[in-house]
Amino acid sequence: MISARPIVRRALLPIVGIALAVAAWEATVLGYQLPAIVLPSPKAVVAALRELLVTRAFWRDVGVSLYEFVAGYLLGALGGIAVGVLMGEWRVFRMMATPVVESLRFIVPFAWIPLTILWFGTAFTGKILLVAYAVFFVMVVSTTRAIAQVEPTLSRVGTMLGMGRWRLAWQVHLRAAAPTIASAARAAAAIGWIAVVAAEYVGASAGLGLMITNAASSLATPVVIAGMIVIGAIGAGVSALIGWLSRARLDYR
Amino acid sequence: MTAIRDADGPATRAAAEHAAPAAIRAHGGELVIDHVFHDYLAGGRRTDVLNDVSFRIPASSVACVVGPSGCGKSTLLGLAAGLLRPSKGALYWDGAPVKMGPTSHLGMAFQQPGLFPWMTVRQNVAIGLRTRGHSRRDAQATADRFLDTVGLADFKDAYPSHLSGGMAQRVGIARALALKPRLLLLDEPFAAVDAFTRLKLQQEFKTLLRLDRPTVLFVTHDVPEAIAIGDIIVVMTQRPATVQRIIPVSRGERDRASPAYARKLAETLECLGVTSDMGGE
Repeated sequence: MISARPIVRRALLPIVGIALAVAAWEATVLGYQLPAIVLPSPKAVVAALRELLVTRAFWRDVGVSLYEFVAGYLLGALGGIAVGVLMGEWRVFRMMATPVVESLRFIVPFAWIPLTILWFGTAFTGKILLVAYAVFFVMVVSTTRAIAQVEPTLSRVGTMLGMGRWRLAWQVHLRAAAPTIASAARAAAAIGWIAVVAAEYVGASAGLGLMITNAASSLATPVVIAGMIVIGAIGAGVSALIGWLSRARLDYR
Repeated sequence: MTAIRDADGPATRAAAEHAAPAAIRAHGGELVIDHVFHDYLAGGRRTDVLNDVSFRIPASSVACVVGPSGCGKSTLLGLAAGLLRPSKGALYWDGAPVKMGPTSHLGMAFQQPGLFPWMTVRQNVAIGLRTRGHSRRDAQATADRFLDTVGLADFKDAYPSHLSGGMAQRVGIARALALKPRLLLLDEPFAAVDAFTRLKLQQEFKTLLRLDRPTVLFVTHDVPEAIAIGDIIVVMTQRPATVQRIIPVSRGERDRASPAYARKLAETLECLGVTSDMGGE
């Protein structure tokens, strides 16, 4: 009993939460007598989802969105960490880069969508760069901050042991900052995934965002919502994967 | 200035030996601290920490620095390690000015042990040897040996977060000793260790010193410890600190049962402003 309760809670309470949300949804549809075009019932959405999951086009859209996301995310995250480390370690570079970073990071990625369409059309490149942009600034700012917060004694120890500047940066500062950087990477993944879908809404030749806008223009509302659920599920999955990776690789206890 | 004045006194030959002369004639393995000043800026206010500190530690000698807390003893170590720059004056090691940045001759144990939390205890001790070019096998074997010495053989694979403060400090000592440094700098290394372990470590420490014979700068606030370990005791004043007196310690004075030890203890404590009738530890 004593040991069973936490397990029951952990398994049961999330299900209860989802059930309550679905019940509220169902109640809204029934209570207001909403037609399926405005807000379909959960049952209709599940049916649409089941149909989607067996079509080849759907998986191609998922593949395109994921590809754009992964490529852009890696580009932005690795670039952001590299620039963040340079800013954390090298004062001259920090002083040059800070004004650029500070002025660009408040321009939301979505403000760039018209320009990326102008420059790259509906091809992958524009979306990849947009994700990279969204992720890059989150990573630059949090990496710089994480490195600044490394316990100064650790730097002194490294120097005493004979580490030069860049060895200290790589072996001590970056490693000590890694858990903080990893949690920023997880937050950045959410932002990057949102950026992919948003860019596809506006202009794309394939992808989940395009699938949803197409469904919306043919008034297939259950498909729209099914697509939204897929987007949410993939986002949560990506975030959980990054969380699991960082715990497995970086935790020490 | 005090150190220089001591050098002029005819009766204090031992002290003269340890005071920095006006012209620097430092020898191999000798640490010379020559008219060193240090201050820092905090919140727009300049605070003087060291105010004309001079003394020298001959090769293979142990100098114990004692003084009121906050008088800049740790600053002195930072300067000797090349982690801080003096605002005036100079430090010399092996006859050359102490350079800032990474070194290969020194080992240092910090007051905050500063262990890398992502490494096991063994890796923490071995990393310095790896950095200085030893093979992995060699580094690990040496690390194991020094962990045995400080009594942590059973904790080699533990992570620092699992250690008590005293244990972490002992890992810090093992890490410094494992480097086989020619200059050993220790900042209250036994402060977080219980009294019994402390006595044992002091003894082990002296045995280790006899093996490699490094030059040692040892900061402590424990006068009996300073007498037990030091060849000279450098008594510092309140901040801004200068050298109040340099007290040589001879072999006979280390025997805790002897009247010579009691006299040395009283003499040192009196320098620190503690009258001898209160004496004791």
